[in-house]
Amino acid sequence: MAKTAALGRRVELVPMDPHCQDITIALYRQEAADGPRYQVHSFSGRPGVVARLDFVAGATAVLGGMAAVGPGQVRFACGGAHELAARRAFLEACKLDPAQPLAARPLQFFDKKTGHQIHVAPLGGGVYQVALEGGDAGRAAAVAGGLVKLGQMQNPAPDQAAFPCGQAHDALIGLLVVRAVNVRATLREQEMQAARGQLAAPSAQQQ
Amino acid sequence: MTAQPMNSRQRVLAALRRQPVDRTPVCNPTSVATVELMDLVDAYFPHANREPELMARLAATGYTELGFDSIMPVFSIIQESSALGCKIQWEQKDNWPTVKMREPIWEKPEDIVIPPDFLTHPDTRCVIEAIRLLRREFGDEVAIVGKTMGPWSLGYHGFGVEPFLLLSLDDPGKTMQCLDRLKEATVAFGLAQIEAGADALTLPDHATGDLVSGEYYARYLRDLHIEFSQRLPAPIILHICGRTVDRMEYIAQTGMAAFHFDSKNAPAESMEIVKKRISLVGNLNNPETLFSKGPEEVRAEVYRNLEAGVELVGPECAIPLQTAIENLVEIPKAVRDWHREQATRN
Repeated sequence: MAKTAALGRRVELVPMDPHCQDITIALYRQEAADGPRYQVHSFSGRPGVVARLDFVAGATAVLGGMAAVGPGQVRFACGGAHELAARRAFLEACKLDPAQPLAARPLQFFDKKTGHQIHVAPLGGGVYQVALEGGDAGRAAAVAGGLVKLGQMQNPAPDQAAFPCGQAHDALIGLLVVRAVNVRATLREQEMQAARGQLAAPSAQQQ
Repeated sequence: MTAQPMNSRQRVLAALRRQPVDRTPVCNPTSVATVELMDLVDAYFPHANREPELMARLAATGYTELGFDSIMPVFSIIQESSALGCKIQWEQKDNWPTVKMREPIWEKPEDIVIPPDFLTHPDTRCVIEAIRLLRREFGDEVAIVGKTMGPWSLGYHGFGVEPFLLLSLDDPGKTMQCLDRLKEATVAFGLAQIEAGADALTLPDHATGDLVSGEYYARYLRDLHIEFSQRLPAPIILHICGRTVDRMEYIAQTGMAAFHFDSKNAPAESMEIVKKRISLVGNLNNPETLFSKGPEEVRAEVYRNLEAGVELVGPECAIPLQTAIENLVEIPKAVRDWHREQATRN
């Protein structure tokens, strides 16, 4: 009898969890009447895994501004999927040091490239405006563009990003703005992670 | 097709002989291990490449969890190269062990010596013991497929890819000497696995479409592959990656049981070339479909192969270690559904 449960569609994977014996943790998307739910799951039966999954699900909820709806299960209160953003919340949750306190990230972020503080202000209806202390409109637009890409958002104005659900998601914005300043690096990191574990023929190997 | 129900082993062996089957078997001539399956049975890379119990336990999930008709315990392509003395990068759970080909161990044919402990070296013995364990556990219910690397691949590992290819251009005589020496490792390891209980052997010989032409295959490898099919008393599944339609005619002449073919070759086009002289297996795309897409796309590729008459369905090569289980279990599901639909139509 197969032990693999029907968990839904796997949307993200951390192949080796540095905080729990190198277990693999994945995020599965399940469809429900009140909107998609995300299940944090591992097939490992090693000691400590249940507690680790509880932590990751809890941290995903905090970082993503999501609600816990069952053991290891979270969803957005708006009922939307926001899948890319949920994946990012999960990935960041897996990286967190479990000994540190959990908190949603603020809507301000220091931009090393310009040396200025970035502020993201909620305008209502799920719309957020990006501004830099130095008033660099081009950089603000680039960061808003990064949010659009990473959060599957809309772009009502060059310096704005809007969630299609029309609801506020401050925690998600705080999470994503840190990555939005360098989307290319984020995507490159994702590609490199995905390329691991693909077997190449000897003729195609680099070493 | 036959109406007689078959078990997995009977189904695979019949398809390898191009005999009637109750349904198309789902066969993995190369690895279907994933990081999630490693967790499920607590058998992680790299240890599952080096300890027989872990190797057998992880391999068995292909049958017990995914529903394939075969079990293939030789996940990597480096076991015998390690026993031959190559330096190995063993990596960790989420990556494949590889031969450090930038640190070659041979420069000329005379350097090739098969060590006396070749079959008792821990990394070859691991495979042999794992096959023995699997045979003991599963008896005759599922096909157990071993793997022995061909001399061309071993040449890459021992000399390095570039030096070996240059040698093949500059000195065909010496290249043949290399292949003649290396083929004995292929045969010895293959025979040991058959004796341990392997029903069939995958024989990867990486004369891949990107680096080696069809003419090269005919010149250097066809006769050797004919020799393997005569010396190894079990069905052999030849594996070559890449676009290989330019050598399928030669491959079909070798007497091997099956050719494990890449998704770069269309199933119908490949079937047309081999003309039932050799079974075809594989073809499901790894990076773009099994790894990156969902069950629907997997199903479409399975159907494409079944409609072309491909004898055994499976992934084109060792699947990426992060492949989702839902995509893998879709393969046997799709095969069963396709046969059900065919039966209803008729």
